[in-house]
Amino acid sequence: MHDFFSRRAVHFLLCVAVLSSALDAAPKRPAKKAPPNLPNLKSPEDKIKFLEMIRGSFPVLRIGRGRTYRSRDLDEQLEKYIAKETSTKLSPIIDDETFIRRVFIDTTGHIPTPAQISNFVKVQDENKRAMLIDELLESDEFARKLARYWRSVIFYETSANKNTVNPQALEDWLFAEFKAGTGWDRMVGEMVSATPTRKKNTKSQDNGWHQDHGPNNFVLANERKPELIASSTARIFMGISIECAECHDHPFDNWKREQFHEMAAFFAPGKYYMTDQFDPSEKTVVEAKFLLGEKPPTYLKPDQRRVAGAAYLIYNPDNYWFARAFVNRAWNELIGDGFYSVDSLGQDKEVVHQLVANKLSASFRYAGFQPKWLYRIILNSKVYQREIATIDSEADLFTSVRPARLRPYEVADTVQQLIGENKSVWKAINSTFDQNPSIPQRDLEGAVQQALLMMNNGTLHNKLANGPLKKELLKTKNDEQMIRQAFLGTLARSPSDEELTMYRKFIKESANRNEAAVDLIWILVNSAEFVTKR
Amino acid sequence: MLNNNLLHVNLNRHGDVTRRDLLRLAGGGFASMSCLGLLRSIGVNAEEIKKEGRSCIMVFLSGAPSQLETWDPKPGTTNGGPTKTIQTAIPGVEFAEYWPKMAKMMKDVSVIRSMAGKEAAHDRGRYHLRTGHRLLGPNKFPHIGSLVAHKLGDPESDIPNFVSIGQTVSSGFLGVEVAPFVIDRAGQLPANMKGSVAGARASRRMEMLRQQDNQFVKAGAESIGREHQELYRKASRMMTSSRLKAFTFEGESDKTKQQYGSNAFGQSCLVARRLVESGVPFVEVQRGGWDMHQNLWRNMPRTAGEVDQGLSTLLTDLKQRGMLEKTLVICLGEFGRTPKINQRTPAVGRDHWAKNFNLLIGGGGVQGGVCVGKTSSDGMEITERPISVDDLFATICTSLTIDPNEELITPGGRPLRIVDEGLPVDEILG
Repeated sequence: MHDFFSRRAVHFLLCVAVLSSALDAAPKRPAKKAPPNLPNLKSPEDKIKFLEMIRGSFPVLRIGRGRTYRSRDLDEQLEKYIAKETSTKLSPIIDDETFIRRVFIDTTGHIPTPAQISNFVKVQDENKRAMLIDELLESDEFARKLARYWRSVIFYETSANKNTVNPQALEDWLFAEFKAGTGWDRMVGEMVSATPTRKKNTKSQDNGWHQDHGPNNFVLANERKPELIASSTARIFMGISIECAECHDHPFDNWKREQFHEMAAFFAPGKYYMTDQFDPSEKTVVEAKFLLGEKPPTYLKPDQRRVAGAAYLIYNPDNYWFARAFVNRAWNELIGDGFYSVDSLGQDKEVVHQLVANKLSASFRYAGFQPKWLYRIILNSKVYQREIATIDSEADLFTSVRPARLRPYEVADTVQQLIGENKSVWKAINSTFDQNPSIPQRDLEGAVQQALLMMNNGTLHNKLANGPLKKELLKTKNDEQMIRQAFLGTLARSPSDEELTMYRKFIKESANRNEAAVDLIWILVNSAEFVTKR
Repeated sequence: MLNNNLLHVNLNRHGDVTRRDLLRLAGGGFASMSCLGLLRSIGVNAEEIKKEGRSCIMVFLSGAPSQLETWDPKPGTTNGGPTKTIQTAIPGVEFAEYWPKMAKMMKDVSVIRSMAGKEAAHDRGRYHLRTGHRLLGPNKFPHIGSLVAHKLGDPESDIPNFVSIGQTVSSGFLGVEVAPFVIDRAGQLPANMKGSVAGARASRRMEMLRQQDNQFVKAGAESIGREHQELYRKASRMMTSSRLKAFTFEGESDKTKQQYGSNAFGQSCLVARRLVESGVPFVEVQRGGWDMHQNLWRNMPRTAGEVDQGLSTLLTDLKQRGMLEKTLVICLGEFGRTPKINQRTPAVGRDHWAKNFNLLIGGGGVQGGVCVGKTSSDGMEITERPISVDDLFATICTSLTIDPNEELITPGGRPLRIVDEGLPVDEILG
């Protein structure tokens, strides 16, 4: 214990000392000597260069580097810990049809087509799941899927003026970076260290804040306010809620009010003032200090200080929260539960199977923060490929996959797969199914309005009744074929025997084949399964 | 536990034993009793219960209004700022100048000036003041509206028992059955109310859908599948409801609409009255824009003006219709604002402050004309009768005939008291 703390203390000093020495000779008495020659940060590229310089100054942990981490290591370790918690049996591995729908939703955001399903099921190759995963991870749709998710995370709670932000530009930039295989470290570095400035003589809606430059939008979504940037940085990129500490000491965590403001000081354009808790006319200057205690040298200019803040966030090897926050969000999206609630983590004791989470996160770091690496590990694992169940107790977590509600844009996309592009339906679904992407799946609830929309939206059902799927259903030779086609087209799976019996009877009792086809589509599109990942 | 269930008979607002309770009682050996016989046997009269039917309208001032610019002004002090005061209908009680209409109505409402909060961040405060619980731990508490819907609402009602005009917090562990039905704008029918087919065909579809969702439940998606079925049941019931017109202005004169105020807030108040009148036990309406860190004195007249007009008209209207006795109206925000004026530029305002703030409460058997609690002359301290959020919720529950000490059982089987340790504010409960 003692050893741990003393080593950590040395480490902080090291970070700061190395930071300065890497840039130039470290002044022994900073107050007397002139500050070292630091690069002028004119462009985003300069900042990235500077970030890389600071990165080079951090000690590199090489433990565990020699060994590669694989899906089977993940399963082995996780199953060992699950067995200690519960006697509940692990659910069986899903069949090919369920797998292809699940993996399509998780990598592309929509369901596979009937042709894709039958081709996949036909293939006789024990590696076919891994091969499909590889193929999907290289698709544009995967990059788009991640970009949309992170766009919604960053923008969900913003109250920034719409004229000053460009969420689409952020999404497009994220897309390009995910597509290019940029590490998460680089992307976050660029977003957090951005300092969008106002263009002279332009209105904000005319790109007056350089909001068309994608990575500027994290800071702009937080209204360029140091307090908001600090709390969003901690919440989104570290999985730590510190924002309550803005006004008072955190009610149930270790965060103190002063720490919050020290963190915010990284993002101030000049000196940062903390307002007195009881007397708002009193203000005190607060020096920047990161959550783990890292202090930037005082001679840094505000821009440089912000880059240093980004470096502490990302490259301090002691900050395991950074890698773990990304891992936990990906895990939550793929398995249906996180190791902890994605953005309400205060203390490590809330982390379920902490050692697994930490190991996976450390391996993600060694893999250069490559999102595709992480997704490949999880998608190929058994824990991902288990059948669904509603999990009621924490001990049973990860014995099955939790059925997950599709994100609003995924419901909308899946519908568009059936009716073609339609703006009004797309918008209606997106707003009615809207939900905070940072709320755990188990806490999400549907709403009556969603049911009403799917049941009754005139345009939607007009299009469905005249769409390609309906036409195909009418072309089928018998009832069983009609049922099979309808299931493949909407739920991306074959009907069970019980379902076949159910619908054969239904079709027989229908007025005519056309009505039966329309009703069949209506029923399946309205089913819970249609809007859920199973 | 099992025996207790037999004693807990829920009577809905029409005085009927709910179907679910009947089934439960039937299971307990009461099968042969008719509904009326049963009511007699437990000593209640249906008509009396109908009269008891309580409702609540929560007017939420989102963003946290300044107590000094609402109903606890500090004229002539540094902290009081330039705000002037006006005399209310109760001698000795003054409001800030922005509330002339409410000042005249002070005989019908009471003011609590000594609310002691604990949360000074918006989301946490909004959660605390809507659920009566702080946002801690894994159990998500229900909005008080969901609780009211659960306790007083008719489970078989064809329109939701809790309507919120504007986004609000959820029903928590009480589940989707009593979740707020959120509409964005008052005065219109909710969207997608008309089915594409009707009659027997529509029923066949619905029945097949139910079976389809049963298949999904069997496949392992129990909670999502069951919830989905419940949503569709409610949605289809709602589509054919004759009470839907309560969402609109149908039959209201232009004069009435104007009295409520030609703005979103005023119109929401009017729809709130219509919804309550049609039997919805809980409605939340909102007016945002109170987070006045800057430009407080420039923004206050318009923001307060709308609420002053809408709220006073609502109270008057309820009173004239004989509904005020049974309808609790409570007007509050998530916390207060710093008594000391900040130094922000270009124009000063007040920051977050949970230590003491105020609210208005009236109707629903609450006595009017009472001013509960006092703050010091600089507004920094409560000097008399501090009221906790727990006390407030105990008061709300008591007014609505809900026992604040009752325990709710979470889906995980954990009993949780409705109010942890508050006591009702007796001086206004009469």
